[in-house]
Amino acid sequence: MHLTQHLRGSLANKAMGNSTPATLEQPSLVSFSEHQRIDIDTPADGEASGLGNSNPATSDFEALAVHRYKLGVSVGFGGIIMIFAALTSAMVVRSGLSDDWKSFGLPSVLWFSTIALLVSSFTVEKAKRALRNSNENGLRTWLAVTTVLGVAFLVSQWMGWLNLTERGLYLAANPSHSFFYVFTVGHGLHLLGGLLAVGYVTGRVWCGHHWVTRSAAIEAAALYWHFMDVLWLYLFVLLLVWR
Amino acid sequence: MATEVAEHLEVHRHPEPTNFWTKYIFSIDHKVIGIQYIILAIVAVFVGMALSLLVRLRLVWPDKPIEILGTLFPVGAPEGVMTPEFYLAMLTMHGTMMVFMVLTTAPQGGFGNYILPIQIGAADMAFPTLNMLSFWTTFVSFVTLCAAFFVQGGAPIAGWTAYPPLSALDEATIGGYGQDLWLLSIAFFCIGSLLGALNFIVTTLQLRAKGLTMMRLPLTVWTWFVTAILGLLAFGVLLSAGVLLLMDRLGGTSFFIPGGLLVNDIPIDHTGGSPILWQHLFWFFGHPEVYIAILPGMGVTSHILATFARKPVFGYKAMVYAVVAIGALGFVVWGHHMFVSGMSPYSGFVFSVLTMCIGVPSAIKTFNWIGTLWGGKIRFTTPMLYSIGFVSLFVTGGISGIFLGQPSVDLFFHDTYFVVAHFHLIMGVAAIFGMFAGVAFWFPKFFGRMMSEGMGKVHFWLTFLGVYAIFGPMHYLGVIAHPRRYAETTSVDYLGAAGANEIHYFVTMAAMITVTVQCLFLINVVWSLFKGKRVTSDNPWEATTLEWVTATPPAHDNFEGRIPTVNHGPYEFSVPGAPRDYVMQCNAPDAAPARKSGE
Ligand code: HEM
Ligand SMILES: [Cu+2]
Repeated sequence: MHLTQHLRGSLANKAMGNSTPATLEQPSLVSFSEHQRIDIDTPADGEASGLGNSNPATSDFEALAVHRYKLGVSVGFGGIIMIFAALTSAMVVRSGLSDDWKSFGLPSVLWFSTIALLVSSFTVEKAKRALRNSNENGLRTWLAVTTVLGVAFLVSQWMGWLNLTERGLYLAANPSHSFFYVFTVGHGLHLLGGLLAVGYVTGRVWCGHHWVTRSAAIEAAALYWHFMDVLWLYLFVLLLVWR
Repeated sequence: MATEVAEHLEVHRHPEPTNFWTKYIFSIDHKVIGIQYIILAIVAVFVGMALSLLVRLRLVWPDKPIEILGTLFPVGAPEGVMTPEFYLAMLTMHGTMMVFMVLTTAPQGGFGNYILPIQIGAADMAFPTLNMLSFWTTFVSFVTLCAAFFVQGGAPIAGWTAYPPLSALDEATIGGYGQDLWLLSIAFFCIGSLLGALNFIVTTLQLRAKGLTMMRLPLTVWTWFVTAILGLLAFGVLLSAGVLLLMDRLGGTSFFIPGGLLVNDIPIDHTGGSPILWQHLFWFFGHPEVYIAILPGMGVTSHILATFARKPVFGYKAMVYAVVAIGALGFVVWGHHMFVSGMSPYSGFVFSVLTMCIGVPSAIKTFNWIGTLWGGKIRFTTPMLYSIGFVSLFVTGGISGIFLGQPSVDLFFHDTYFVVAHFHLIMGVAAIFGMFAGVAFWFPKFFGRMMSEGMGKVHFWLTFLGVYAIFGPMHYLGVIAHPRRYAETTSVDYLGAAGANEIHYFVTMAAMITVTVQCLFLINVVWSLFKGKRVTSDNPWEATTLEWVTATPPAHDNFEGRIPTVNHGPYEFSVPGAPRDYVMQCNAPDAAPARKSGE
């Protein structure tokens, strides 16, 4: 992946004085600030040549990348929130409009899902702390635990769906089940995306790679993971109350 | 400049792709992706226009055989006579093509992609790979939509708004997979647009050049930015609604299908769903969507009017606030599409008042455009003409909107040709004039050659008069209560007595001429690519923003390893005391002596 990054912040301030003074006779002279940008090509093997943490410029760059990735993920929350807000309002309207709504008991395995996801939020936070403290061992461990918990969550959701089908509660049997499937599958797909991201960084960290956007990737994945956790808590409460 | 080398980082140039595939097809360069979006839109717009001609032909000669159609569509047009279902299918595909594949792609994904990073002094979008993914997702959506023509049952007939139960039940149509593909296509489109919106927002927030504060952004950037926010918040809702409708069709659920329904004497085995729920979800997306289509055109118009009137945009700040206000209010007026859905009169009243509120920022924009032109040293170039045309169309379409926004009036006008006239003028044609203006204005930057002014002016006048000839009379059709979406009205007495048949004839003729004239635009583009006058400077229009200081066409990384520093506001034209009548954003701070920068 090629990333073209503009480095601003402290470095840019240093370069501020560089703009070409233009005189009124030559107003077309353009003021440029030179060399504020570094372009990063992540080497395929993930080894960032000479871009260790010792280089202050690199850590500036890393800070910028962290900011950008986290901003990207946060903006994405807006879109995801609207997806689930639309579904929520659809459920409120659909259940209020007609009398064919039949409540059903949620599969109890969902409590296990919930606990697994809550714990995984805690572990991914631990991984982030380890990253910030340059504790490579901690980072490896906590990332791996998070991945395992993520997989456990999805398996547990799968068992929840199996439980419903065993009870004959299929997708179309009643709108309450329809919405249950829509919400849980919708959340599951978004979480799967997060799991792929977490799994990817975990894999690379375990292989000992130090790529330049490593912190950014881990921080962004952690942020997304927390969001998946909060989203699930919201959906779980919603389904408990409104089933 | 080069004295402080020690302070500088080693610059790794973003490697320029050398291979054909990574350079032109799976490119991550925002400029290439922008052009890809524009090409997609051009293909779609010609498909859409061809469909509209079929619709127009059927309205005037409902039972006249057209041989070629019989060969092409043996089912939809047996022996060359279009069936009513075929008419509806063409209408549906026309609307979908135009609204999604043209009006949503080119203004934002096309021009925004190409120009926004350059105007803010960035080397690319914030996430170039994601940008490529957005385009290809949109491309898959386009292909999926086109596939609907060719599957069993043919293209869907439920209109671009896909109201259930018609869109949900095969019993109500010929059946087949057309509607499923339509929904799938829309789902892809939503995903592509969401990813694109995310990229635009992060890019605008994070990659602005030194000195480019938000209040120094060109209005084009402001409108792309606000459009991205609208897209981010609107497309998720359409995605959700589309998935639910698809499940009603394929999974047997009853989200939108009511109970006790009898269709073509077939009892429908569903209970309790709500077709009105679809309307709410659709229009919650749909109204912001119409602004997604028009806002970039507003930005381009403001930009071009200032450039060729040689005056600063009148009331720059008011323009920014108006764009933001339109974006925000756009989310609370969706109910005006549903006045006749049986909603409570109180809700209707609230939606009506909120709708009128949107008129205020819209009027502010219009007055500021006129204020920008007022007393300017106007240069009537082709982009300028298109932009003035935009203002005209926007005003005409906006006035009919005020009528429609009142529930009591809309009771009569809803689902008549008055609505068709309204939204074609304001959304369809105005946004397309914004694109014409954009092409004519930025063509020299894209390709290093000017477009032919002669051909451009002929095209402008013929198109401008043509669209008024097409959509003007439709207001009258609405007034005589001519319903929309009917395949055949030639034998309806009350319409015939009021002259509807002659008007349809006139409109169809005008449409055929206007569509033909569009070939002139295409010819102009192709001719200018090879034979157009070469630009002699990087800034042929004597404009102020950053895209005019880069090379022509811009280098792979836009500014060749440097980034401009911004010292001035975006529209510093005719600054008193300055040696030239324009000051570029990146000119030295003292280049504009009399006016404070940033105003
Ligand atoms: C002054 C501002 C505006 C007002 C008061 C207004 C009002 C309305 C109303 C009340 C309707 C519903 C008519 C009906 O179906 O009975 C409508 C339809 C429509 N408007 Fe506007 N509008 C305004 C501006 C715009 C703009 C700026 C656009 C697009 C750029 C737009 C695009 C549309 C479209 C596409 C439809 C029809 C959708 C359909 O039924 O297929 N309008 N407008
Ligand atoms: Cu609307």
